[in-house]
Amino acid sequence: MSETALFIKGVDKFYGPIDHGVHAVKQLNMDVKKGEIIALLGSSGCGKTSTLRMIAGFEAVSRGTISMKGREVQTFAPVKRNVAMAFEGYSLYPPLTVRENIAFALKASRLSQSVVDEKVANIAKLLEIEDIMGRYPSSISGGQQQRASLGRALIRDADLHLLDEPMGQLEPQLRALLRGRIKHFIKERGLTAILVTHDQTEANALADRIAVMEGGVLQQFDTPQMIKERPANLFTGTFVGEPPMNVFSAGISGTSDTVSFGLNEGVKLDYKASDFSHAVRAELMKRSKVVLGIRPYAVRRSEGGVGAKVAVNQWLGDQTHIAADFAGGTMVLVEHDRTNLTIGETVAIRLDPSSLHVFDGDNGRAISHGQELA
Amino acid sequence: METTSTLEKTLRLIALTLVVIFFMFPIFWIFLMSFQTNETILAIPPSIIFTPTLSNYAALITGKLTTAAGTLDIAFMRNLGNSIFLSVTSVALALVLGVPAAYAFARHKFKGSEDIAFTLLSFRFAPPLLVLLPLTQYFQWLGLSDTYFGLIWVYQLICLPLILWIVRGYFEDISADVEYAYRIAGHSWFATFRKIALPLAGPGIAAAGLLAFIFAWNNFVFALVLASADKQPVTVGALAFVTSSGIQYGQIASAIVLSVTPTLALALYAQRYLVEGLSLGAVKG
Amino acid sequence: MTTLQLKNITKRYKTNPVLDNLSLDVADGETLVLFGPSGAGKTVLLRLVAGVIDPDEGQILIGGEDVSDIDAEYRGIGMAFQNFALFPHMSAFDNIASPLTATNATKDVISAGVLKVAKLLKIDHVLTHHPKALSNGQKQRTALARALAGSPPLLLLDDPLRNVDAKLRFEMRLELPRLLAAQGATVVYVTQDYKEAMALGDRIAVMSQGRIRQIGTPEDIYNTPADIEIARLFGDPTINLLDVTPKSGPDGVYVELSNVKVPLPGMPASVVGKTSVIGLRPETIVFTDAGASGAIPVTVEAETPLNEKTVTLVLTARGREILVSRPAGTPGPTSGPAHIAVHGNTTFLFDKESGGLIRSAAIPMTRNGEAA
Repeated sequence: MSETALFIKGVDKFYGPIDHGVHAVKQLNMDVKKGEIIALLGSSGCGKTSTLRMIAGFEAVSRGTISMKGREVQTFAPVKRNVAMAFEGYSLYPPLTVRENIAFALKASRLSQSVVDEKVANIAKLLEIEDIMGRYPSSISGGQQQRASLGRALIRDADLHLLDEPMGQLEPQLRALLRGRIKHFIKERGLTAILVTHDQTEANALADRIAVMEGGVLQQFDTPQMIKERPANLFTGTFVGEPPMNVFSAGISGTSDTVSFGLNEGVKLDYKASDFSHAVRAELMKRSKVVLGIRPYAVRRSEGGVGAKVAVNQWLGDQTHIAADFAGGTMVLVEHDRTNLTIGETVAIRLDPSSLHVFDGDNGRAISHGQELA
Repeated sequence: METTSTLEKTLRLIALTLVVIFFMFPIFWIFLMSFQTNETILAIPPSIIFTPTLSNYAALITGKLTTAAGTLDIAFMRNLGNSIFLSVTSVALALVLGVPAAYAFARHKFKGSEDIAFTLLSFRFAPPLLVLLPLTQYFQWLGLSDTYFGLIWVYQLICLPLILWIVRGYFEDISADVEYAYRIAGHSWFATFRKIALPLAGPGIAAAGLLAFIFAWNNFVFALVLASADKQPVTVGALAFVTSSGIQYGQIASAIVLSVTPTLALALYAQRYLVEGLSLGAVKG
Repeated sequence: MTTLQLKNITKRYKTNPVLDNLSLDVADGETLVLFGPSGAGKTVLLRLVAGVIDPDEGQILIGGEDVSDIDAEYRGIGMAFQNFALFPHMSAFDNIASPLTATNATKDVISAGVLKVAKLLKIDHVLTHHPKALSNGQKQRTALARALAGSPPLLLLDDPLRNVDAKLRFEMRLELPRLLAAQGATVVYVTQDYKEAMALGDRIAVMSQGRIRQIGTPEDIYNTPADIEIARLFGDPTINLLDVTPKSGPDGVYVELSNVKVPLPGMPASVVGKTSVIGLRPETIVFTDAGASGAIPVTVEAETPLNEKTVTLVLTARGREILVSRPAGTPGPTSGPAHIAVHGNTTFLFDKESGGLIRSAAIPMTRNGEAA
């Protein structure tokens, strides 16, 4: 597991002249271990697709190096890099059936017909496309095309599997099931995969580590759990998490025994000094302005909390989403039961210090994430 | 990677230059010819070093053509005026008739609408020579031959299908939802046509109008047969330079330069709209 | 506010019916969600109501009045489109003002009206921008503002959140109920997202192939789906569906999953021996100890987080796949052998052949898997 499959060092990508064109990827450093699944996550234009295309070799590297198996490959043609790729636009060969499309990926491997047949059958079963194997790409739905395209990439025995928005078109009823199966398939075979996605659910579901990108800059590269529980900055904190993290700007004051946050509309949150470690408290007291963040599921309703007025109560079957007016903004709560609050009623909410994220008011960098992770 | 892309750029530049030279050379050569006398033009080998003369332009503008055999009267300036008048009026009429028709064909699919639209287009398929003879006869009966009105009418055969089919495409590219939104907001269909469809198809209409103008301007056969000397456009008038004492290459060249100038100026002016219109990006919100 | 009635509406393209003898009543001030896959006829239905296309058969009544002969511009409707359909050559202000310029209102009244609705939707700072210069979220808000500007008694919203990113979609989902309540309009809201449907709808009409398959409150649809297809459309992850044949025992009807009895209390004896499908929502399945009653042995295949939930894919001894979901942060197995049990809430039994719901049954078990 510890062998490095991919090593990206100081990579820049400019569209147009170097240093003057559009700076799509900025000083990117990343390492991917063999057998890992990595997700490049970000909104459109964040540089994730440029990065993937540079790894695949479809896009030239403006500066820096990309190494695979210890060799620099950034000048290699795509075919020399032994990578398999599933494209966002499916790109199936129109004159071939789905079966032929998938088997085509094995042409170069010179496997016997029976081995090829078996592999194709396995992939078809995995992706629930057995009934469309004889059809042509033009006669199947977008979701089916995407599954076929995914199959064509996964069937190959490549050093690196690159998946560009692999599940965006999938039928929602199939998504959860296929995510589980594909993850199992990749892990079982020890494949190394990098997927590009704007859908954090997909990234969270499949990836061992997520690279959050924005504005061409890698914001954080860590496990889904760490990204969720210890976001490096305000961007990652609010970008990852569904529903998004609640954030409120706050002033800060304190004594030797207390730490107090002053929010808009005179809302005050008082904590004991012992709720924060010495180092964190020292950091907090250096600042006058911070941004407080708390995830919707971590907001608790409890006696003696701060009042918030219920504005919305939406039951979604297995979760209830509640929005309440709080400190001049909106506080969102997620509860896993059926909750029926009356619109306009005041509920008391508590922001547990152990789930509180504090970010710098100026540069958005994380200062603390409540208590240390268990 | 940088070296290959520089090489690529250089090669691309060379290829582009070759193409430009290939297409621009005749125009450039004609431009030079228009400042030469017949003698220097016909000299062998040809030379691009000569003493420029304005005599060709002078002859065209004064209407006096001096040849070895004597002086001829030519009506080039009148021809030029005719061309401008005929083309502008024809295109204007075609726009007035064609744009609403194009809108109707784009938005209202009724029984037989495709057939009618196709019939109109088919006017462009038939070689003009085929319809010319009967047309001449009809026009003589109707008293339309050798009138501006008659010519403009015949020019609709050229302009109307062009405008109809091009502009229809632009109307179809406007999302129906955008028009629905305006209707639902409380506006009549005519207000929707005027305030939404027309402005959004504007670049396309301009492009179609310009193309129709060029086709009308370049028309030769209809005008040759249906118009007498005082109503002829430049395309027909240029025949006067083929005289009994030889072909006046210098004058032809300068006549070409003069007659190309209006369309060229128009195209350059409208270039922005043309690119916008032809790239179909005009209606994306 | 007004009412909307559709009576036996049929609309065909060529010979295919897009809407097939469809009838629908929307009450005064109600928010009705039309939910269904693409191609179900939802958008066509909205356009018929708006009056930009005409039905082949049937009647549409707005406020009790037949509107067949009333043109779109006189129907008093506000509509927002999936692709926003903003006027690209007009500023955001002029876009929003368009329902007001159609009236005889003075410039000041129009300005005031636009500003009011723009403030409500937090786009008053971009009113001079043309659509091209607006972000996706701002476009969406401008489109909504335009629909609201004329204070129409009937609002048609055609999947207005489809083309904005997940975060904006979530924010708008929370904001919309307040906006719509303030507007006091009767609303028909089209969506393909079941969460939006459940969150926003007073009632949901589930459509497919030009027909309404089921209509009811979110609770009705989620807890008593009319058939397998509808059950599959609501819930994330999707409901688990397993072929079973109910048997009869001393304690009533039960089914067997991996040779473990799962009782179906209240199920009529008539289902015994009938080829059926049992539907288990992932959140009604819990991990339990090997010794607990009703514990079914499984193997954990993969674990994936999903919107504050943890979803586990498990295999039964017979290789059947089951998705189990639980609140994020609660303990559960991540790999290897484990045991599951069905708890509380609701379990469905569908007829295998017709797909229709036979009955939903509450299985009396507590969250930790112990029989209550």
